[in-house]
Amino acid sequence: MNESWKSYPSGTFFDELITAKGQPREAARGVVRLLQKLPGDEMAERRAAAELAIREMGISFTVYNEAGNIDRAWPFDIIPRVISARQWQGVSDGLRQRSRALNHFIQDIYNEQKILADGVVPADIVLDSANFKPQCMGMSPRFGVWAHICGSDLVRDGDGRFFVLEDNLRVPSGVSYMLENREITKRVLPELFENYSILPVDDYPSHLYQTLASLSPRERRRPCVVVLTPGIFNSAYFEHAYLAQGMGVELVEGRDLMVADDDTVYMRTVDGPVQVDVIYRRIDEEFMDPEVFRADSMLGVPGLMRAWKAGNVAIANAPGSGVADDKVVYAFVPEMIRYYLKEKPLLASVPTWLCMREKDREYVLQNLDKLVVKPANESGGYGIMVGPHSTAAVRRKFARLIEKNPRNYVAQPTLALSTAPTYIDDVVEPRHLDLRPFILQGKDSWVTPGGLTRVALTKGSLVVNSSQGGGSKDTWIVEGKV
Amino acid sequence: MTMLSSVAERLYWMGRYLERAEDTARLVAAYNHLIMDIPRAAELSWDVLVRILDAEPVFYQQYRVGNEQNVLRFLMAEHDSSASIPFAVRCARENVRTTRDVLPEETWEQINELHLYVIDAAEKSVGRRNRQAFLEEVISRCQRVNGMLSSSLPRDHAHRFLRLGHLLERSDMTTRLMDVGAGEILGRPGTHEAIDPLIWTSLLQALSSFGAYRRMIGPLVEAKQVLEFVFQEPLLPRSVAFCLAEIRTELKPLSNHEKALRTLGRGRRKLARLDPESMSREELHGYIDEFQALLAELHDAITVSWFHPETP
Repeated sequence: MNESWKSYPSGTFFDELITAKGQPREAARGVVRLLQKLPGDEMAERRAAAELAIREMGISFTVYNEAGNIDRAWPFDIIPRVISARQWQGVSDGLRQRSRALNHFIQDIYNEQKILADGVVPADIVLDSANFKPQCMGMSPRFGVWAHICGSDLVRDGDGRFFVLEDNLRVPSGVSYMLENREITKRVLPELFENYSILPVDDYPSHLYQTLASLSPRERRRPCVVVLTPGIFNSAYFEHAYLAQGMGVELVEGRDLMVADDDTVYMRTVDGPVQVDVIYRRIDEEFMDPEVFRADSMLGVPGLMRAWKAGNVAIANAPGSGVADDKVVYAFVPEMIRYYLKEKPLLASVPTWLCMREKDREYVLQNLDKLVVKPANESGGYGIMVGPHSTAAVRRKFARLIEKNPRNYVAQPTLALSTAPTYIDDVVEPRHLDLRPFILQGKDSWVTPGGLTRVALTKGSLVVNSSQGGGSKDTWIVEGKV
Repeated sequence: MTMLSSVAERLYWMGRYLERAEDTARLVAAYNHLIMDIPRAAELSWDVLVRILDAEPVFYQQYRVGNEQNVLRFLMAEHDSSASIPFAVRCARENVRTTRDVLPEETWEQINELHLYVIDAAEKSVGRRNRQAFLEEVISRCQRVNGMLSSSLPRDHAHRFLRLGHLLERSDMTTRLMDVGAGEILGRPGTHEAIDPLIWTSLLQALSSFGAYRRMIGPLVEAKQVLEFVFQEPLLPRSVAFCLAEIRTELKPLSNHEKALRTLGRGRRKLARLDPESMSREELHGYIDEFQALLAELHDAITVSWFHPETP
């Protein structure tokens, strides 16, 4: 065993590659053995090769700060995270079940609102939410599906059990990094691909295309699909360009599109206007159509909602989908599964206290030092308080915030998140991680084998967001024994 | 496979800016040579370069005198003046940044390297010692990008709009260059028998066409013959006639090309009417002005036909 692995601690948290006894887990045996046998300097060489590949492939993400936008190279850890296909099957089934239930919910909310009438979900938390868009009432998109692309964040607790932490139904991002991570690993650790049967991920763009194409209002062999981006200054522009190229479709900005008097969307081309059937929008719905939402939006397309409501164009995700992407609504997903599907939830949700309920609020305020407090309506890890890592001053600030606007806060227990070996400087150390698989739902549904693993590179940290010092790992779903 | 108007527009400007960077470098290099050859008495001044590029208003906002240092700093090292080499390179780069998916993979890398080189070297190349090396490096890097594009870009819309920008800019810059020879712009009355051949030779050199001129026309460099050669020689890739013929080839397969072709037709007829033999220097200068106005009209026709059409 080389030096870098010698002091690897075991047994503190659930480690996904190493058992409490310090042995590699079955599915990870090949990876761990190979990496432990590499001479120490070769670990460093492989890491250097990965960094070179990242630069050459131009994989970057954008960080915003006062000095402007900075393009940073993608932070990547060379040690893959390994999950057995048997275990993954259960997770994948659970994710599809969730996606179906969430889509039933959105369809119901914008139509009959049965679940509110039956008192399963309190009406006010849905109808008073900023994510509920009255403009979408009465709409019924194809297949009754609103959230075609869902990115759900999963974590594993001290027993290795998977939990859903949140469902991103607006414009979830990160899938291009999942694909690039695999490309990098193939270059850096090619020998592992000989002995392992690793489920491939690189067909994601074609699954995405099929899902989008299935939504087309016109029956055509090759419907006109476009990716709508806010432009080069958006932090995920790299991904927008990547996916458009991967699907062989146009990457458009708002000004490339127009809605004519026939309530139909056209893109401006050198051959004149070309009708657009499906828009994969990577712009927030608030900016989508200045006629209906923010009038000051320069990024949107005036009339887009008209065209969508007239059924002349499909939009993924449908405007209004965000109503189910809310940390208060999240607490009711298990109820939704039972209500709409008459099934038992296959995947666990994290127990959630809703500060809007008096009893819950009391409990939360008394246990701030033990809980994770989250705003109901933020993403990117902003505005979160991790109780055990917080100072008294921060806890006082959050207590005030909660009392001022209880609807806007939820709290969850601090989970003992799983770890995986991560190569930091010259040593392999455990670091906490999460996982974002992507669920596609159109005519059929499909889940990425694995997803984007994000890892908190700072020792002991639970914050995995790349904007806040997180890195990532390739995620392997492996079949059979190694 | 069609192309978004916005992408076509960026490619067109990429073609223009890349050519502008190269031609500005050529212009400065040629003038630099010329000035060293001219006897003091002829008193050529540096601000001619600013006048050729129609940049006087901007220039005199920043500088009081049009001397060597100021003019060359303005054209070679001023990142924000629209007549400078760094500005043209940066604009070319910005246009590639958002069209990378339709261009060969090396394009971004090469244009980015050119950009970094210019940022790094421009400031210290204003002085006489490094000046020529810098200009030559810019020219050769631009040529590398053009060579790579012409050997690997499929002949579809991407190539077409790049090429349209490239050809239109080249016609424009070539006519501007000829205006130097027209003398009017030099503010010199009458003919200077002694220095005229020097001027025309340096202009041919700026167009990399001196050798071709000697082979095709002869060793004697005379104003009228140079003008005919540079404007009308159909076989010379830098001649205006050649550029306009190529523009026609690129416009032909495009839909909705009537307006642009009409404007181009007027340009080609005007070109055929050029008769340096019977023209005074003033007339020639006037002719060049009119010709440039026609090129601007052609640009507008391209813009309104394919980039910003009236919404139906």
